[in-house]
Parts: sequence; structure tokens; C-alpha cells
Amino acid sequence: MCWVCEQYGNGEKWYLNPENYARRLYKVRKEGKESTGSDADPQAAGMGAGVVAELVKARISGDLVWEEEIKREALEQAYKTHFGQVVTLDEYLQILDIAYPLAKMTCGCRRVQRGMPDEENFTCMGIGPGMYKWERWPETYRGGVEFITPEEAKQWALMNHKEGRVQTVDVFGTPYIGGLCQCEYPGCVAVRNRIDYDFKFLLKGHTVAKVDREKCTGCKSCLGRCQFKALNLEVYTNKAYVDMDQCFGCGLCVTACPINAIELLDRESMPGLAENW
Amino acid sequence: MIAQINIDYTLCKDPLSCRKCLSVCPSVVFVCGPTKVWKGRETDLSEYKIVGRYFDKCSGCGDCVKSCPTDAINLEFLLREQLAQKFREERATQLRERNV
Repeated sequence: MCWVCEQYGNGEKWYLNPENYARRLYKVRKEGKESTGSDADPQAAGMGAGVVAELVKARISGDLVWEEEIKREALEQAYKTHFGQVVTLDEYLQILDIAYPLAKMTCGCRRVQRGMPDEENFTCMGIGPGMYKWERWPETYRGGVEFITPEEAKQWALMNHKEGRVQTVDVFGTPYIGGLCQCEYPGCVAVRNRIDYDFKFLLKGHTVAKVDREKCTGCKSCLGRCQFKALNLEVYTNKAYVDMDQCFGCGLCVTACPINAIELLDRESMPGLAENW
Repeated sequence: MIAQINIDYTLCKDPLSCRKCLSVCPSVVFVCGPTKVWKGRETDLSEYKIVGRYFDKCSGCGDCVKSCPTDAINLEFLLREQLAQKFREERATQLRERNV
């Protein structure tokens, strides 16, 4: 169990705890300047704007103390308000039985990073009571929402998994879970910032993939499935290689294997990885 | 070397509708977001702005410059060490101000 589970899991994984989807958590009213009018962002341009701009500078300067300070301060804030975690397909499907209502909505990352037009960009899933607000004020929340049934949501989730998208839960006012994302590198800001700048806004999941080297035939079916740069083929031994330190436990490589040669293990069952979130 | 991506906002007026640089960049260097977020109404398209956020990932291929219909993007390269020096000075200033 990760630290979020310890605080908000009530004995189970925090995103399988129905309390964290509850109405009463939505929505803590903002205070101060955010409560009225506009939120000015002088750094410009959405999503972690200031933090990443600073991180890039710190990286270029080579000042590790500076980089750590930026991350520490930003994450302290993020973990109280808005962050994400990778979940497996099974967990995602379980969440679809817990959360209601379910709605497709436009993905902020794909808009911000690729300029995806709203009508093509219903690639994110919003969940819970917040969605009524999004439906009520589509002019504020670009594109509004398309409510879907749990069965439709499951089919869509399976399609996304099949097509190689990583599935994550997103928090809006910890521990209220309001989003289920289908992410990819580098189009997803959270995945991008984690992989390229080691900014832990996105937490690793509760599982880790392990290759069974006896079973693996080197068929390459799993290649290209990993969004986290953790998977390649050892050409001369002809086996898939998963960097378990780098693995986020999404399970995309696992389901791609035709002979079950990649196993999804509980992160905590491996002492060397148990605290690697 | 590291890219300095300058965007002339008097020329780049409606980036989210245009989105050519966002779409063409092989390194996903650009981001486009609202400079203001309004309560109760949609952010005006003119309040969206393109920024070369991940300029450290820019290869210098120049596709963005070529694809920009208003010639709003200017790409220059600085030596990494020159830029590092500049940012180290920024940091030193920040620390000095903090200790005042």
C-alpha cells in the first residue's frame, strides 16, 4: 500500500475505497483570489506551468539542490490537491463499478500539448458528482460531457487498454477522485513530466511487471506497449527485458504477451521495490 | 546547444485554432494554454498562448518555423553553458532575495 492508501484507503487501496468518490468531498470551495473572477497565470499556458518552466531551468543549470527544492515544494502542494496514480485494467474496471456518473470529456493534456480540437478530443473520463457541474456549464469546461453507461465505459476502457493507453486515477482535492485518464508518453503532461524530469506528480501503481525468462520466446508482442521507457528486447538472449525499477505497473505488456510470460506482481511483495512509488 | 524559442504574440493570435506547431513538433516542445481561467464563462480563444515549454527537448529541426502561417516563431540556439550560467545567476538572485 502506498502512502495515499495509508491515509485514505480505509484498509484497502485508496482508489477502491468508495469514500474517495463521495459527494461530500466535492468540492472544497476555493478561497481568496481564486474564488472570484479570473485566475491569472502570468507564466502562461496551463497545466503545471510555473513548475515545469522552473524545472527546465534548474535542469539546464545543473543545480540539483534547486531542482529538488522545486519538486519538494510543488509536490507538497500537489499531494494535497491534484495528482495521479497508475492503475491496472482490472482496478480501472472495478472503479467503473464504484463511481457514478461516468462521462467522456475532453482531455486537457491533449489540448494543451497537441492542440486537439474538442470534437476529436473526448479521450478522458470524468467521474462522480463533478460531472453534473461540467454538464451544466460547458462554456467553462471546454466541450462539456457525454454521459455513458458503466457497460459502455468498460468497453471503452478495454479498447483503450488494447490500444496501449495507460490508465490512471486523478485527484481533484485530495482524496476526491474525479478523473480516469488514458495516458501516453509524451502527450500526457503527467507521464511526460515524470519520465523526463522525474517529477512525481504521477505515482507508480501497486504492481510491477516481471518477465519469466524461462517462458519468454522473444516474440516481441510486448514491444512498443510501454509508455514509461521500461521495456525492450535483449536481442542476443532473445528475451523481453522489463526495467522493474522503472516499471509503473500498468500491465500493458502483460496483456500483450500471448503466452503469459510477463507476470504482474504486487509491488509490496518485492522488498527492493516496495517503496518505489 | 539549447533552443531559445521566441514567439511573437502580435502575430500568433489564435493558436488553439491554428495548432500547426503543436501538431507538427516531433518532440512535443510546445504547450498551449489559457493565460486566464474564468469562472462562469469559457476562456476566450485570444487568451490562449503558445509557449515553448519543453525547449530543452528541441532538436532544432525547424518544422515549427516552417509550418507557422504567420511566421511568429523564431528559433535561436545558445550554448548550454551560456544558458546554464544565466539560470544559475537567476537562482542566486532568488536565494539572495529570500535571505533579505
